Amino acid sequence: MRKNLKKYRAPYLFILPFFLLFFVFQLIPVLWTVYISFTEWRGIGTPEFVGVRNYQKLWIDEMFWESFFNTIIYWIFGLVLIMAFALLIAVLLNSSLLKGRAFFKTATFLPNICAAIAMGLIFRMLFDENMGLINEVLAIFSVEKVPWLSGMEYSKIPVILLIVWRNTPWYTMIILSGLLNISNDYFEAATVDGANVFQKFVYITIPSIRAILFFCSVTLTVEMWKVFNESYILPGPGTSNTSLFQYMYESGFNVFNMGYASAIGVFLMAVLTIISLIQFMAKRKQGEL
Amino acid sequence: MGYGKKRHLQSIVIHGILAVIVFICLFPIAWMCLISLKDTQESLTGFHSLWVESPTLNNFKRLAELIPIGQNAFNSIFTTVVGTITSLFFCSLAGFAFAKYRFPGRDFLFYFVIATMLVPVEVGAVPLFVIMKKLNLINSLWSLIIPKIATAIGIFYMNQYISEVPDELVEAAKIDGCSDFGIYLKIVVPIIKPALASWGAVTLISRWNDFFWPLLFLRKQAKYTLIVTISLLPISEGLSTPWPVILAGTTVVILPIIILYLILERFQKGGSFAGAVKG
Repeated sequence: MRKNLKKYRAPYLFILPFFLLFFVFQLIPVLWTVYISFTEWRGIGTPEFVGVRNYQKLWIDEMFWESFFNTIIYWIFGLVLIMAFALLIAVLLNSSLLKGRAFFKTATFLPNICAAIAMGLIFRMLFDENMGLINEVLAIFSVEKVPWLSGMEYSKIPVILLIVWRNTPWYTMIILSGLLNISNDYFEAATVDGANVFQKFVYITIPSIRAILFFCSVTLTVEMWKVFNESYILPGPGTSNTSLFQYMYESGFNVFNMGYASAIGVFLMAVLTIISLIQFMAKRKQGEL
Repeated sequence: MGYGKKRHLQSIVIHGILAVIVFICLFPIAWMCLISLKDTQESLTGFHSLWVESPTLNNFKRLAELIPIGQNAFNSIFTTVVGTITSLFFCSLAGFAFAKYRFPGRDFLFYFVIATMLVPVEVGAVPLFVIMKKLNLINSLWSLIIPKIATAIGIFYMNQYISEVPDELVEAAKIDGCSDFGIYLKIVVPIIKPALASWGAVTLISRWNDFFWPLLFLRKQAKYTLIVTISLLPISEGLSTPWPVILAGTTVVILPIIILYLILERFQKGGSFAGAVKG
């Protein structure tokens, strides 16, 4: 053991920073969160152990359930829309008929570079009920003014649109890298056999990039459960847009209810673990892992 | 319908759909730049927002009066640049160790690194704040840099890329008596430049745009990064900051990073191993 350490001192030293940082800034905080969630703590003084009381409070807290429900909406719409658009754009960008590919690739990637907070402010103006451009355009089709940001039933739409607008390019890029690896022979053979565009898409493209699509949906799921910026900068009336992660932040750092915030954190962690497990089990069942 | 004609039609459809998508992608950005140049007296209602009567830079001046923009910009640039450079260095160093050394426990440790990606560090925000306070890093830009010096995803990416570096190169350097760090610096780094450029671009963007961590760790205006300052603009003048001034703020955040991205994009291509093996 000691001999090995000496012989391989360099590589161990090279990977050491990661493990140190992981320990201090990831593992300890996560475990500590579990502990704090069983206490009553205002951020100062000693935490007082209260058992599962924070979790009992969660159970009957309507705001918690609303933010949970909101997060599910963001997750479902984000996942479905982003995957659909990313796949569409990637397939278009990969088409052999496309001219000016470099331009289209760069232009469709730009939203991903723009800060969600800054874009959120722009969306606020675009979707403004009285002076926003969106309502003005809709007025041409004689649609009544829509209270995008102040109406309970509409306020999540700008948030979802911002999430989709900003995140799609990243997944487009990943899917496109997968499409580039599909051998052209398959498509040529299919063309000879008389397959049309949609048949080629369903029987060649999709199966070839299944692993990448799976990877995208897993990472996207984690991202969507952690939505914070978009709903923070585009708040609807009351808590109608609050995400779970945002509710955790507000409970901890606006109301200084650290124990309660930690309980929300633990809940979030549990949800993410369960979802990842289900996804990997489903994958294993298909015999692909 | 003939084959050529069908292809022609397909081509039109493809370009048409992409043109619409590009419009949706670029319109909000272009619109923002436009409004940031509008005089605050001009109408912003609906279609009026699409036209600038007399372009002015006054909004940027107002912005500078409203917030310490120079200080905040410095904070953003500092955390982004230092954060990206340190992260590239430590991630590629660890990636190199995993890719080119057969040390005991390597596979286990590598899977461990990957598995840490599934633990969302954000859920530990409350204790992380306490840790930062104990380390005296609240209101310090280092609170944003240090935890992300070596990230799992960065190590994974670098490992993938460095694995493709031919083993002969590393072996030859070892025989020549090159130290381990020397091999990294003189052999590996020059070859993985394209990977460093593309990972560097990704890191730059995410650091520049980071909002949650600066919001959490930086608690006074002189220490804010641009993003945090901008997020507070709508309420900074008693709820009545004019929209052109706010959008001048978002322009300051968005435009530099777009320009930087367009420049960096040129460095991402190329990078051949063949030359390195021969030479």
